[in-house]
Amino acid sequence: MARTRVKVNIKRSQTFGLNITSLTDMFTILLVFLLQNFAAGDVVIDPVDGVRLPSSMTDKNPVDGAKVSISAKEIKFEQKVVAVIANNKVDAASLDAHDDQFIKPLFDELKKLNVDKEKLAKTGKVLLQADENLPYDLLRKVMYTASMAGFPNLKLVTTVSSN
Amino acid sequence: MGKRFKLHIDRNAEFELDLAPLLAVMVKLVPVLLISSAFVQMMIIETELPQVVQEAIKKQEADPGAAKISVAVTKTEGVKITLTEKGQAHIEVVGLNQDKTIDYPALHAKFVELKKSHPAVFKIDIQPESDVAYKDIVKVMDEARKAREANLKFPVKDEKTGKETTTEYMFPEIVFGNTMDG
Repeated sequence: MARTRVKVNIKRSQTFGLNITSLTDMFTILLVFLLQNFAAGDVVIDPVDGVRLPSSMTDKNPVDGAKVSISAKEIKFEQKVVAVIANNKVDAASLDAHDDQFIKPLFDELKKLNVDKEKLAKTGKVLLQADENLPYDLLRKVMYTASMAGFPNLKLVTTVSSN
Repeated sequence: MGKRFKLHIDRNAEFELDLAPLLAVMVKLVPVLLISSAFVQMMIIETELPQVVQEAIKKQEADPGAAKISVAVTKTEGVKITLTEKGQAHIEVVGLNQDKTIDYPALHAKFVELKKSHPAVFKIDIQPESDVAYKDIVKVMDEARKAREANLKFPVKDEKTGKETTTEYMFPEIVFGNTMDG
């Protein structure tokens, strides 16, 4: 007896409706969440590698200024490393021989900014991103040098905390 | 005779809403927002203040006889607050907790007490010791800047109108007093 071959009847011209309601729900939730977190400030500060910022209750949005960062390993001006740090001490070669608070390479970069970005330099603002565990001694050296270079308005960058 | 037309409405009929265009918009929007969103929100500590408070600070700076508050932060003793008034210095110390951290609620209460007794003072000098961690300095500044209690307000006189108003700010002008000590 010959077996009958089962033939699946596929209608190639047939269309099917994909139920996208649940997908739309998910996207709506995601969109609301992202819109809430959308950064609306004028100035965007990029997080610096190796810097864990302290948290503060301040509610001021960042302003533009000379960006200086201090991590456990180095002091950076914008993206450029200006001094190396070891054991919470600035490398002796970067310090002035007669003034151990004065970081010469940082001073030079800030002075250069006075020429390159005159308008920004006139505000005298420094946006300082420093690691929360660093001792005040390191910060003081940076503040001292910035003041000497004509940047006395210090803005401490922090993360947001509610308590 | 005209036949009355009767509109037949099937109230049980279902219709399908076409969500495809909406989904297309969302698919485009989500990546854009994902790229531009800041998941770690950063803020700054600065001294831009309401006009009335700024004027009060200017007035305090112009008055050489005004009370001065100096806050020394140490790792071993805690926070030492020195109030200098009429040539006399009153020192108060907020000690450390058992885990060697600063007693922040006690410090805040001390600042509130100081502000209540000296409402015209808006500026303080902070003098941390070299080994004090940056995060501790930021916390001390937080405690001094604003009153935590929402309904706690301090009187301040608007110099332009002469009217008395209130502010939640206690000591918003914080200056690092020992930066230039060398």
